[in-house]
Order: sequence, then C-alpha cells, then structure tokens
Amino acid sequence: MPGAPAPGDAVPSPAVQDPVAPTARAPRLFGLLARRRRAAAAPAERLVFRWDLDKTYLLSEFESLREMMKIPFEKPEDKIAAPGVAALIRGLRESALSRGRTVRIYFLSASPPQIGRAIRRKLELDGIVYDGIVFKDQLQRLFRGKFRHLREQVGYKLTELLKGRSVEPAAAREYLFGDDWESDPLIYSLYADVAAGRVAPGDLAELLRHARADPPLIEEARQLAIALPKGEAVARIFINLERPTPPAALRIYGARLVPTFNYFQSAACLFQDDVLSVDGVVRVARALVEESNYQGVQLENSLADVVRRGHVSADSATALRRALGRAGLLPPFARTFAERLRAAWRRAARPITLDATAARVDYHAIVSGQTAEAAAE
Amino acid sequence: MPAVAVDAMGGEHAPEAVVQAVAAVSLQTDIECVLVGDAARLEKLLESTAYDPERIALVHAPEVIGMADEPRSAVRYKRKSSLLLALRQVVSGRCAAVVSAGNPGAAIAASLRELRVLPQVRKAALAGVYPRAIEHAGQDPLALVLDVGATVRCSADELVQFAVMGATYARLISKVADPRVALLNMGRDAAQGDEVLVTAHRRLRELRGFNFVGNIQGHELTSGHADVVVCEGLLGNIVMRLLESVATAAVDLTSSAAPRNWRLRAGMAIMASGSERLRAQADYATYGGAPLLGFEQIFIKAHARSQAPAIANAVKVAAKAARDGLVPALKAALAEVG
Repeated sequence: MPGAPAPGDAVPSPAVQDPVAPTARAPRLFGLLARRRRAAAAPAERLVFRWDLDKTYLLSEFESLREMMKIPFEKPEDKIAAPGVAALIRGLRESALSRGRTVRIYFLSASPPQIGRAIRRKLELDGIVYDGIVFKDQLQRLFRGKFRHLREQVGYKLTELLKGRSVEPAAAREYLFGDDWESDPLIYSLYADVAAGRVAPGDLAELLRHARADPPLIEEARQLAIALPKGEAVARIFINLERPTPPAALRIYGARLVPTFNYFQSAACLFQDDVLSVDGVVRVARALVEESNYQGVQLENSLADVVRRGHVSADSATALRRALGRAGLLPPFARTFAERLRAAWRRAARPITLDATAARVDYHAIVSGQTAEAAAE
Repeated sequence: MPAVAVDAMGGEHAPEAVVQAVAAVSLQTDIECVLVGDAARLEKLLESTAYDPERIALVHAPEVIGMADEPRSAVRYKRKSSLLLALRQVVSGRCAAVVSAGNPGAAIAASLRELRVLPQVRKAALAGVYPRAIEHAGQDPLALVLDVGATVRCSADELVQFAVMGATYARLISKVADPRVALLNMGRDAAQGDEVLVTAHRRLRELRGFNFVGNIQGHELTSGHADVVVCEGLLGNIVMRLLESVATAAVDLTSSAAPRNWRLRAGMAIMASGSERLRAQADYATYGGAPLLGFEQIFIKAHARSQAPAIANAVKVAAKAARDGLVPALKAALAEVG
C-alpha cells in the first residue's frame, strides 16, 4: 500500500495532528514536560489501521450480478457506511494523536479505480481523514485476458499489504479490519505471519500458487516477504461478520483474529488494547443509537458477547458500562455491594483469559478447503 | 419487541435445540431472548452457531430440573434451576414472557410458586394443540385443548373460565375471528355427563357474544367442529397423550409393514410426499408451544420433544402474546364473565 495519498485524498488536518490536550489527571505544565521528555527520548509509536472497503466500511450489496452492476453508478451520498464505522475511525485517530502516537489509516479495496472518486467523496462526507487508498486495477487484468484473476483476492491483497508494510517503521503496530465475505481472515492472518517470519517466503509462494493467485503477484509477494524486516506487526485482526458465520468457524486463525458483529464490539476490543479511549467507544455507541436506532439492550448484549468470547476483560467492560451509563446510552451502572461480590465470585469461579497471541495456523489446510469450496460452487 | 426468557436446559433435546432455536430467532426477528442455563455450555454452543449477539443475553443457572425429576420436590429444592431463574426474569420485569420445553409438571409447579395468578382466576390451565381437519378455507390447522394437566378435577366455574381464556387466546394469537368453543363430553346431549359438565354446559350456553357449539365427543376431536375444546386436566392429559400415540403408532405400523411386502413398499414410494406431509402435520414436536393460561405473566410451554424449529416457534408465539397484550385481553374477558 503506497504511503503517499492518491490525488484527491484528504490529508490529516493540523487540528487533528496536534496532540496537545492536557490530561485530566496531570497538571498542564507537568503534562507538557512529560510529553516533551517522552518525545525526546523515543520516536512516537506508530499505529496503522488498514480497512477493507466493501462489506467492512461500506454496506455494499453485491450478492447478485444486478447489484454488482449498480455499484459503479452509485452516488457518494447513496453509499451506506456500516453503522458506527466512521465514528470508530475518527475516534482511533483522535485517541492515537492525543496520546502522542502517530497514526496511519489506509483503505484497501478490491473494487476498480473507476469508482475511486465516489469512494473518496463518501469518505470525505463521513469526515474520514485517511492516508491512502488502493483499488484493484481490473481493466489491466481484463486487457491481459486474466478473467479468472478478476475475482482472485488473496494474491492481490497480500501483495498490497506487504507493499504497505515495507514503507512503515519496523515497530509500527497494525490493526486490520475485514469481513467474512471473501478471504480477509486468510489474507490478514497470512500477512501477519509472513511479517512475523512464521511463514517463510517459499511457503508463501507455494500457498499462493495453491490459492491460484496471479503468477506475477506470487513472485512479487515472495520478493516483498524476503525484504521485509520480521516482527510482530499485526496486533489484532477484526472480521466483521456480514454472513451468518459462527464465530467458532474462525477459531482456526487463533485468538489474534476477533470476529465482530458490530463496530461497538470492535471499539470495546480496541479500548481493551488501549488503542481507543473510553470517549471513543462512547461515540461509536452514540452513533449506533442515533444513526441506526440501536437500543441500550443491544449495546449491553454486544458487550457481554465479546466478554464471553474472551476478547474484553470484565474490568474493561465495567469501565465501559459506567461510561455508557454516564452518557445515557445504558441505564446508570450502579451495583450493590452484594452484586459486586457476586460478580467477583463469578469471575473467580469462571475466569476468562484474554489472549490475542498468534496461534499456529494450518494455511495449507485452509487454502485446500477454500479451493475445494470454490470448485464446488 | 419484548424480551423472552428461554429455559435453555429444558426438554429432551436441550440445550442444543434451544440454543439453535434462539440463534435462529435472533437472525430472523428483532425479539430479544434471555437464555437461562449452564453458561459455559451455552457459550460454547452459541459460538458454534450463526447468531446475532445484539438480541441474545445469557443468564447462568447452575441447576437443571430433569424430565424424570419429581416436579414438586424439584421446584422446592432446585432453587437455582434454569426453569425457576427463567421465571424470575419475567417476575422481575426483565422479560415479558417465558418459554420452556422442560418437565411439564415442574413447569406448572414452578409457575404456581413464582408467578401471580390473575385476580379472577380460580385455577390456571395448561393448553395443548393438536392437528385437526380443516372444514373451511383459512381455518387454523391446529385446535386448542385445555386443560391438559395443570388440574385434575375442576368445578363448572373453572371450566367456564378455561373456555373464556382459550377463546381469548385463539382470537388474539391464532387469529380465529370467532372461535368455536366446545365442551368435551361423552355425548352431544346437554344433560349428559356429571353435574359439573351439565352446569358448565348451561353456563357456557348462557354467555353472550360467545360462540359455544355444545358438547363434543372423543371421535369428533379431529373433525374441525371446534377451535377450542374445554375439559378437566385429567381428561385433557389422557386425550393429548392418546392423540400423540396414535399419530406415532400409525407411522410406526406403516414403516414396519413396508419391508415385508414389495407392493406396500411401491405404494409407499408413490405416496411418499403425501405421507411426509401427513407426518409433518402429525408431528407434535414441530408445533411450537401452547400457553399456561391464568397468570399475570405469559408462559409458553413447548413439547418436551421439541426440536429447534418448534422452540423457535414457541419463542415467536410468546413474543406475539406479549406484544398483542394477551394478559390484558384475558383480564378483560374474565371480567366480563364475572
């Protein structure tokens, strides 16, 4: 993914880039001094957020050929963003900047560049400040007569991700957002493991061949993988469950990958990872309530669900419930001493261990399964 | 949509069938379900199913009332059972209705212990549904019979109340505009039966704006003459069990005879689609649920052998009953009778 924004892309505004809001806990002077000391001592931590567009940022409908044909003719204002996604992206940038971190937000789409203008305008309408957007050059594949590769995403997206990684500092921490519609879980996990050195460049090439990727892309991906400095680049992968996919079906990718049903759940996980502030989570919740008619009970159930699945701790959930209660989005969170005791007892009896570490993923089995599935279809 | 508490551990196919049902309801409707049961098991099952977490809450219940448990002692000693905790979700106001496919005796005993009986009601009645012939287009293929086990013997006044509650339920939930109500008896004549039945017959006939069609005999139950059949719990329970066993026996007899005779096998193959439809119609495990009437809260009792589609239907019926104001309608109808 190129570092420089494409023509017409919005760039971070100075107001957003300036992270000098005093914290509530420290006096302004000490806060400034501490921040200056930190800035002088170490380079700012870099957070990178990479988003898929269709079915992840946008609620695109391409289940039928007719719906697919409509997409290029849609006006920016007709495109619908997933509930809460714009508030989450804005919150992620603000949270990072307010903590003295640098931030990059990229979009990676398998749509053709011909719809780029509408997409950029849509992002602008949503108030999204981003650093780059990549489209798939379908025309070039058409001219080459590679019709099969029009729908092939693994090779294309993986190569673009590796290209994007090559321009980031080695210590940059990445958060990836995709959906269960295409191969995002596989692509993102594979990318994370290639970047970490758990999948060798030779193995990657073999996997891509097995996945029937475009041959020039296979070689390009292999070369990029060889050149990449190895490290744990990807902190979390969020997969927006757009299809009726059971979350357990994605357990094969390990605990690093979090299947989510809405962006409030993603926001809660990012709060858990100290990447999004509590205010950021509240803003996502408010967007869901005000723009998509969510009820408090839906937020409460969504939060309980990510806690049960081991992605958010009970303490973080309590902090969020309090904040949401103060914001009037949930009933005020007040527990009696007996209720607190019962909750502590329940936690002790059934501890939920949070685990976002990478598991050993059997990519050959996954690719074989997907290839067989595609053949059957 | 109102929230529905679901006893996740009740029924012969629980908790798998219950979790599947609730997951399906969460994807198909905007009903919120509160699953009550062993949280660790439920979480694992839920995660392996496609569901919408926005519409599902979990409440942990460490105990289970089994199908073989003696109802009264189970309700007395298993205070943290999924059934009792589900009922408490309704009593506390968190949910508007409760659904259980568990031990029927325990369901009745627990309801009598936890729920409030409507002011006018003398005894609660458990309803059941069974398939019957359709006499005219648009008629509900299922008839309602009550009571099927909440009572043993009843007075004439209690039978009248059952009739009023059954007719109100049929009108509101089954959308039968003017439900035909009958009294189960040994003959059509109004003077037949014991004093209770004779008095009940007279009182029902005197009710204004009430479509009482008189007595109905056992062989007429499946005819489609009545939408609501009223009887004592002892009799109703025997009737329901008999109807279920006849349907099962018919299917079993045909299946066992078929392998011995090639002509019968060929005939069955030709009739396969028809017999499948018949089996589906006679399969009480797919009906959904029937209400326990007479309480301030809504309780839908699903058949113990219910599979996921039946439990999902029971949840939808419960939500519909809450949304359409079944309890206020029952109160109003009972107040009219006096």
